[in-house]
Amino acid sequence: MSSAPDTHAGRMVRLLIVDDSNIVRRRIERSQHFDDLEVVGTAANGIEALELARRTDPDLVTMDLTMPQMDGIECITQLVRMKPEVRILVISALADKATAVEAMERGANGFLSKPFTDRQLNEAIAELMY
Amino acid sequence: MLLSDTDRNRRVLTAAAGTVLAVVMGLVLIIGFRLATQIRASVGNLQRASELQTYPELISQQLTALRQRLDTLEYTGHVHSELSASVSGFNSDLASLQRQTDLDSSALAGATVLWRNYTPVLAPVLAYAGEPYSDSATNSTLSRSGRAFYAHVRRAELFAAANSTALHDQLAAISTSLQAQTASAAARLRLLLSAGVLTVLLLGAAAAYLQLARARGERAAREAQEQTRDILATVREGFFLLDADYRIGAVWSQALSQIFGRNDFAGLAFEELLRDKVSSETLATATKFIKLLWGERAHENLMKSINPLGQLEVSVDNGRNGKETRFLQFDFHRVMGPKGVKHVLCSVGDITSSVLLSRELQEAQESAHSQLDMMVSMLHSDPLQISAFLETAAAGLKHINAILKEPARNHGEFSKKLAGLARELHAMKGESSALNLMSIAQRAHQLEDMVGELTGNTDLSGKDFLPLVLKLDELLAHLNGVREMTLRLTALKENSPTAQSSALAPRASGPAELATTLQTLAHKLSAEHHKAFALTLHGLEDCPPQYLSTVKDCLIQMLRNAAVHGIETDEVRRAGAKTEAGQVRAEFRRVESGFELLFEDDGAGLSPESLKEAAVRKSILTAQQAAALDNRSALALIFKPGFSTRTEVTMDAGRGTGMDVVAKAVYGLGGKIGVSTNPGRFTRFKIALPAVSESAVA
Amino acid sequence: MLREEELKTFVDGTTRYFEVAAQQPATIGSPYLLEGEPAIQDYTGLISISGKREGVVYFTAPRAMLTVLLMKMQESDFSHESMRDLVGEVANTISGNARRDFGHDFVISVPSVFSGEKPQIPNPPGARAFVIPIHWRSHSAKLVVSLT
Repeated sequence: MSSAPDTHAGRMVRLLIVDDSNIVRRRIERSQHFDDLEVVGTAANGIEALELARRTDPDLVTMDLTMPQMDGIECITQLVRMKPEVRILVISALADKATAVEAMERGANGFLSKPFTDRQLNEAIAELMY
Repeated sequence: MLLSDTDRNRRVLTAAAGTVLAVVMGLVLIIGFRLATQIRASVGNLQRASELQTYPELISQQLTALRQRLDTLEYTGHVHSELSASVSGFNSDLASLQRQTDLDSSALAGATVLWRNYTPVLAPVLAYAGEPYSDSATNSTLSRSGRAFYAHVRRAELFAAANSTALHDQLAAISTSLQAQTASAAARLRLLLSAGVLTVLLLGAAAAYLQLARARGERAAREAQEQTRDILATVREGFFLLDADYRIGAVWSQALSQIFGRNDFAGLAFEELLRDKVSSETLATATKFIKLLWGERAHENLMKSINPLGQLEVSVDNGRNGKETRFLQFDFHRVMGPKGVKHVLCSVGDITSSVLLSRELQEAQESAHSQLDMMVSMLHSDPLQISAFLETAAAGLKHINAILKEPARNHGEFSKKLAGLARELHAMKGESSALNLMSIAQRAHQLEDMVGELTGNTDLSGKDFLPLVLKLDELLAHLNGVREMTLRLTALKENSPTAQSSALAPRASGPAELATTLQTLAHKLSAEHHKAFALTLHGLEDCPPQYLSTVKDCLIQMLRNAAVHGIETDEVRRAGAKTEAGQVRAEFRRVESGFELLFEDDGAGLSPESLKEAAVRKSILTAQQAAALDNRSALALIFKPGFSTRTEVTMDAGRGTGMDVVAKAVYGLGGKIGVSTNPGRFTRFKIALPAVSESAVA
Repeated sequence: MLREEELKTFVDGTTRYFEVAAQQPATIGSPYLLEGEPAIQDYTGLISISGKREGVVYFTAPRAMLTVLLMKMQESDFSHESMRDLVGEVANTISGNARRDFGHDFVISVPSVFSGEKPQIPNPPGARAFVIPIHWRSHSAKLVVSLT
């Protein structure tokens, strides 16, 4: 799992964390255990996320859905338009399946339900990046 | 797929083998025909060459014969014509040999040259047409032309004699060469035929192998098909494939029919399958969800949690003209082909039992929460009241069980039980809810409801009481749980250094408060039971805070025992020449091994015999076991759970001794409890508690 | 903890035996919780259950009841052995019913039969025993179920 992936050999996987909760952001930051993965930014809402994505060029974005200012759905839509190759993992406690499916329709690559374990998060990241 | 590939390969191979066979056979036929023709020609030539071989000698002999005839003046006509025939025969045969292009030309050329030398010599001989003899009356002599003819013959004879051997040899060489040619052609034909036969055999073997392989392949395919069919018939999940138009494929597992109660799945739209089972919103979401699988972005493994059909509640006919709720789980998987997603495999499982199980677990969790609530309310209640209640409740349940145990065979007898049950349960519900022990109150309430429902029944039987007795068991287990919890809570309070001042113990209870509580209780009990007694307390101030709560609970329990069981009524005391007021004494003191709590009353004491009787009555012991018990062990009976020497059960808080609770609490602290008695004189409890560490005391 | 359908299965297994064997159904009396010693009568057929659940189920009946039952079954052999066979049969029927209904959860032993002497009945810890009186004609037997 920790071996350098073919798709971005020689380069760290750049992770952008988008969640309006400090606790969750820290949680995600702390719980990933890949040697070649670096957190390039954390954003608390969609607008910040887009701005950071422009500046930091992430490979992978973890995305909350319910956020102030710009919600996850809108952010995913714009993010995919801006960087079609970016992988997006939605991490949300949303019980409403229709919205979850919509997030995927807009271009998210995977969905992880909150609450999640470190193991689940790492497996999801591995699934998307390696 | 693999299967059809090899199948195609095999077909191509078969066709190729057929073509090769046809070509080989054609070649063999053509070449063989040519070789045969060649051989036939060679054999003709050989005959001709052999014939030719005889001519030089023949011609030579004929010339000699002609010359001799001329010598003897005999008739030469027939010899001349024979020679002529020989020469023309030779000419024609040679010409026909010369027409054969593939003859050994050197021998033929040699023969031709030699023969050409013959021609001028023979020509005058053959051309001669005159009369060689001139006849006179007496003798004949050669005529003039005859003499010339003779000279020609003579020349030819000499020429032939000189050359016939050479010509013969040349002709023999032709013959030999022709023979060799024929032999080699025959060998070639033999080789060709052998090769042809071999090729045909090989191709035949190949064809047979292919045929066999195909048969085997077909058998394997048939077996695979059968196995697939078996799997689909047996597997518990419903399986089917969806195409890009959300239509079900031609193959599905049997379980699907059972789950959906239909059989017309082939080509059925997925939407149609679920139309009456889910809301249109869910269906729309599900359709979108499946569509994601046809796209490239979504990771199958990372979208399971948003599957809108992950746990679908449906109502189905249960076959007994009723409906029942089932839970179905749909799973979707991509089936990849060479050009991306080919189908979506859908599995449908009936997960009703696991859903119900997880609900049960959830309920258990909730009940754990309600236990927590109860713990909190217990922390805020008077422990005295709670233990009193627990005794009441235990006695109440015993009473309920006693009512149930009454034999009953008909409606009347069963019906009679209900009133008693309802009364007990109602009382328990009231008391527990007053103490805010809602988990108990709730269960009592449920039982009361069950009894209430049975009351309306006009034909009661034992079967109707089965749920009741099960629920009763549950309540009993729950009460035991609460009792355990009370003990643990007590220990918890003791282990918490801040317990005295914390919110968990709002009624701060130091030794002084304990003394007050005990005196108040003694007063109350004395009044309630119409027994006069005085309580004296010593050394409670020495009690370490860790033990205070247990000591308090023990003292309360023992005090209640003393008041209810120990101290006699005024009349009895007077008859026994005792002081009118009973004496109850408690002393706490430090001893070498730690601490000791003594508690004694000068009441009736304990009678081993009546304790044994009670134990048998309460089914704690069998009569035999009781008889075998010594006095010491008989006294220890009072520490057994559920033991009470009181025969009748009243609503008063005096049911059950609760000494088992005391004993458990003492054991919990690592202590010991013992009892000694003198019937008619006293009962004395001695509780030994281990030393506590200095820091803890401080 | 014992569930109602489990208890019903055991009870039905017992009453059905009477119905089938003697063409006269048994009725069940008022069930209660066993306190103290197990209520053993003359003959007892017992099955133990292990696996996911632990416990015992036994049918215990007086000789008189078994005698009448044998008579109703057109038997002429009222020996001790016959009585033992009979309670064993009842236990067998109960076991069969239980296997049918909860085969997955229960591992059921072959019935063992006790008579006269007090059998050692292993009571699973933490489980109370339910006593269900079985009335048949004028006689009473008991079905005892104790299952964690």
